[in-house]
Amino acid sequence: MVKLSRYILILIAITGLAIALPKLYWIAFAQPIKSPFVQYSAVDHDFMILRNEGETVFTNTKGETFTREEYEARLPFVYTRQLLMNQTLPDSLNGEEMDPHQISKYRSIFRLKPEDIRAPQPSLFPLFESQSGRVNLEMPEDFFRITWRMEFINAQTNQINEEKSRMFSAVLYKRGFQFPATSINGIPTTLKSCDEGYLVVDSANQLFHIKMVEGKPFVRQVDLPEGLKFKTVQCTDNSDKLYYAYLFSEDKHLYMLTQYDYLLERFPVDNIDPEKHEIRIYGDLLNFNVSVLGEGFVRSHIFDRNLNPVDEYSENWPVQSQRKEGKIAAALFPVQLSMTDPNSEFINFYFQPSTTYYCFAASLLLAFVQFILIRKRKQKLLNQLPDILIICLTGIVGFLAVNFFPNKFFS
Amino acid sequence: MWKAMIYKEWLKIRWFTILYALLGMLAVGYLFLKVQHDTTFNQPNNYWNLILFKGLKFFSPLKFIPLAGGLLVAVAQYFPETVNKRIKLTFHLPFNENKVLLCMMGFGSCCLLAVYLILITLFSGIAAFYFPSNIILPALVSLIPWFLAGFSTYYLVALIVLEPVWKFRFLYLLVAATFIPLFFINGSTAAYQPVNITLAVLTVLLSISLLFSGYRFRKGEM
Repeated sequence: MVKLSRYILILIAITGLAIALPKLYWIAFAQPIKSPFVQYSAVDHDFMILRNEGETVFTNTKGETFTREEYEARLPFVYTRQLLMNQTLPDSLNGEEMDPHQISKYRSIFRLKPEDIRAPQPSLFPLFESQSGRVNLEMPEDFFRITWRMEFINAQTNQINEEKSRMFSAVLYKRGFQFPATSINGIPTTLKSCDEGYLVVDSANQLFHIKMVEGKPFVRQVDLPEGLKFKTVQCTDNSDKLYYAYLFSEDKHLYMLTQYDYLLERFPVDNIDPEKHEIRIYGDLLNFNVSVLGEGFVRSHIFDRNLNPVDEYSENWPVQSQRKEGKIAAALFPVQLSMTDPNSEFINFYFQPSTTYYCFAASLLLAFVQFILIRKRKQKLLNQLPDILIICLTGIVGFLAVNFFPNKFFS
Repeated sequence: MWKAMIYKEWLKIRWFTILYALLGMLAVGYLFLKVQHDTTFNQPNNYWNLILFKGLKFFSPLKFIPLAGGLLVAVAQYFPETVNKRIKLTFHLPFNENKVLLCMMGFGSCCLLAVYLILITLFSGIAAFYFPSNIILPALVSLIPWFLAGFSTYYLVALIVLEPVWKFRFLYLLVAATFIPLFFINGSTAAYQPVNITLAVLTVLLSISLLFSGYRFRKGEM
């Protein structure tokens, strides 16, 4: 029992140190990795790349460098106001009139990080009045959840509003909604241009649009291709009012849901996985730019407004583990442990095993040091073998742990 | 004899436990007084919105309350044993020394658990007046690691207090300083959901760690 208590303490020490030591190492030695910022120029029909390598460099895929003014002139949909001020905004581009109001209307920016999806999700939402006749949206008095029925809970009294709950549940039931909801997606803030309610996935993977119009339920089922399941549905509030949401499917495809006619339009691109990579979608008067950003790479896919592919670009750069400081860390620590992950909001034990065999050399060296210490203390080697094994497996962390809790009495 | 053992432990920690339970209940009371105040000034629907979508943790005043309890009970229970090495008297009783230590540890754990259960019940009961289960359950998921930290602190402080050698006390303190923060990582509400079970298992395992210090004490390590 006492022996067991010692090994438990060693386990606790290894857990704590395997988190604390790599953390200290990275605080001391981490270097920023500056990833390039890639945008598409409809002027040059080429990608413009902004690099921060000591100084800011404006370049393109051919390696040509530009001044800031030249760079901005090639991205008229991004730097519209600057070009207007400089009076250098072109009158037309690729046959489209460059009306600042139109440019502004069709400009959209969407960003989705893995940590936005891999995070605890709320299960209670405010249902705004979509046609209140007021300019600004108002936070409703009640919040809804969709379990065995749709329930509205008044925040003032913390009681269920039975009448409203029955009314909405009945309409959902009539429209074929299979309770409970598996995901409820909307923009639960009053700081949006208008309310379009929620896109809700039910337990049969059907997609429904639910909103409140003049106090009454509006429920519309969206026709989906057979077997289509979504990883996440992300509602948008774009000023062009053409699409309700970006939808990311389980089979790593990206869709948009059109407003009013509820058509699913698929971007002709594969391997869009918001659970692993950051996704950015920039829309402008002429194009959509779907960018996928991962550790050490960026992929940009350009489509026209009809979603026909126009161009694509990708670039890789060394990730932290491939750089000098990463290789030293991999040699020092057979496993780096962390309670947080850049791609998740959840706290867990995240293991990052070493990518180099040098860590085994370091572990063996420490095991040899332990062996010398054992001989010096004139202890029986057989009793100390588990400690040697722990050091071989866990390196410096195990070496510290077994010596913090010495087993000099055990025989 | 075992009854007498437990009575001795109770004599050591009773006032500290009762005082801590009262202070803990006051903390829960303060927490909901603040909720009452904030809902009055912000409107309940805006307050719910802040909790659900803006990351407001209404329960955060309780963050270090369980840790304080673990620390207090451990010091109250084990510090007197180190004065003039009184624990050696216990080891001279006609009992298995490990059983004695586990009995002490078990009693301390039960007292702590009783106070924690009172606090959690009080928290959940009062919270039910203000919030639906959709807000209370994620809050409880976030509270669990803080209460586990209370138990872990109790076990590690007991280990440190009973350790006879100062050098090793320092090293154990270092281990505690790397382990206890794992329960207090800043994250969104319910972020601990996937790891709570693992942390609970580690905490339960840690409950027998006192045997190590006790063994060293018995063997006369100086």
